[in-house]
Amino acid sequence: MARESTVALKLEDFGTFVIFTAIYAAGTLGLPKIALFAYQIKVGEAASAFVAMFGYPAVLGLALGQFIANLGVEASPVAMLSPVLSLLGLVVIYYARKLSTLAGCFAYVVITSLWLTYLLPITTGITTTEAAYSSFLGQFIAVMIGYGAYRLAMTERPSQTSQPK
Amino acid sequence: MMLSFGAVIGSFLYSDTRNWRSTISKSLGRIPTGVDIGPFPVDINLTIQLIILTEILLFGGAFAMYFAIRVQFPFWPPASSPILDDSIAKLQTLILISSSVLVEWAVWKLKRGNMKAFKAGLIGTTILASLFPILQFGFEWPHLILGHILTPSSGFFGATFFLLTGIHGAHVVAGVIAYCYTDARAFMGQYTPKNFGFVEASSTYWHFVHIIWLLLFALLWQGSRLLH
Repeated sequence: MARESTVALKLEDFGTFVIFTAIYAAGTLGLPKIALFAYQIKVGEAASAFVAMFGYPAVLGLALGQFIANLGVEASPVAMLSPVLSLLGLVVIYYARKLSTLAGCFAYVVITSLWLTYLLPITTGITTTEAAYSSFLGQFIAVMIGYGAYRLAMTERPSQTSQPK
Repeated sequence: MMLSFGAVIGSFLYSDTRNWRSTISKSLGRIPTGVDIGPFPVDINLTIQLIILTEILLFGGAFAMYFAIRVQFPFWPPASSPILDDSIAKLQTLILISSSVLVEWAVWKLKRGNMKAFKAGLIGTTILASLFPILQFGFEWPHLILGHILTPSSGFFGATFFLLTGIHGAHVVAGVIAYCYTDARAFMGQYTPKNFGFVEASSTYWHFVHIIWLLLFALLWQGSRLLH
């Protein structure tokens, strides 16, 4: 169902957008919580690498999914800025896909971890050091699992116009 | 009022559907064999965009009402509100995700000319879609109301809960009717890889209903746990 996507969205992209929103929001709110030290690993982060395959509908869908998930779990208004930082990271994955999706995923992990290192001490009261390693590890694990699934999906894809790096 | 509304819709669909077969066969009879008739001339994309816009206004108003009430309270949900069991809501979420993926797959198959897979996907979507209101109006609401856990008259949280889920549930029922209509047309052979506007319009509407549900799930079920 994946196709080459441009920044200009069409009505037929709406389905992809909503499915990615649901993957992130329902994955975070509906599945059992996985805690790594002070950080709650979000299952929906695993879908980030698929931005390279599904394009902008997935970028916007995941960012909205994070916003919806935060409505249900976060009490702090500053936490509602997280989707903006995620959006930035996802755009990096999208534009890095022709060079290296893996590098894009690393950039995403770094961007979101830096934000969480700032955010977690405010919302949970843990130290900055604790926040830094737990968020980096949590994000790294989730995104890399997703990257593995993405690679698998790319090798199984029936018709490929360009092989990802 | 509901009965008269149903009667009007029902009679319209009946008279409309009855004429499809003869109208289409007459139209196709005038087209020479082997000529590509191209896509359907009506811009259904514009129609569904206008429908979605009106739905955004409706749900925007409903959510604005919810937040306007919410800011009146120092803590939300109010202290007397129950923690809602989210097991049925999680199942409904899973149903919506599965139906959204399945209808996308069905449209994808249709575009590639695999009519058998398209019809199977569409029927599967309709079955999944119809499970949602059965769970909501057959299990969740009776469980909450008859068990005196949460009723429309049990405070602001109860009132907003039943109003928002009620509006959404009515839209889900409309989506199920739209899918039944789409199924009927699919089995009458009215869609081709180049003419599938109504299928895409139905699926777009369904995706919209899905996204509203995600907001409700986060705000009402997960939000009911925030202060507990």
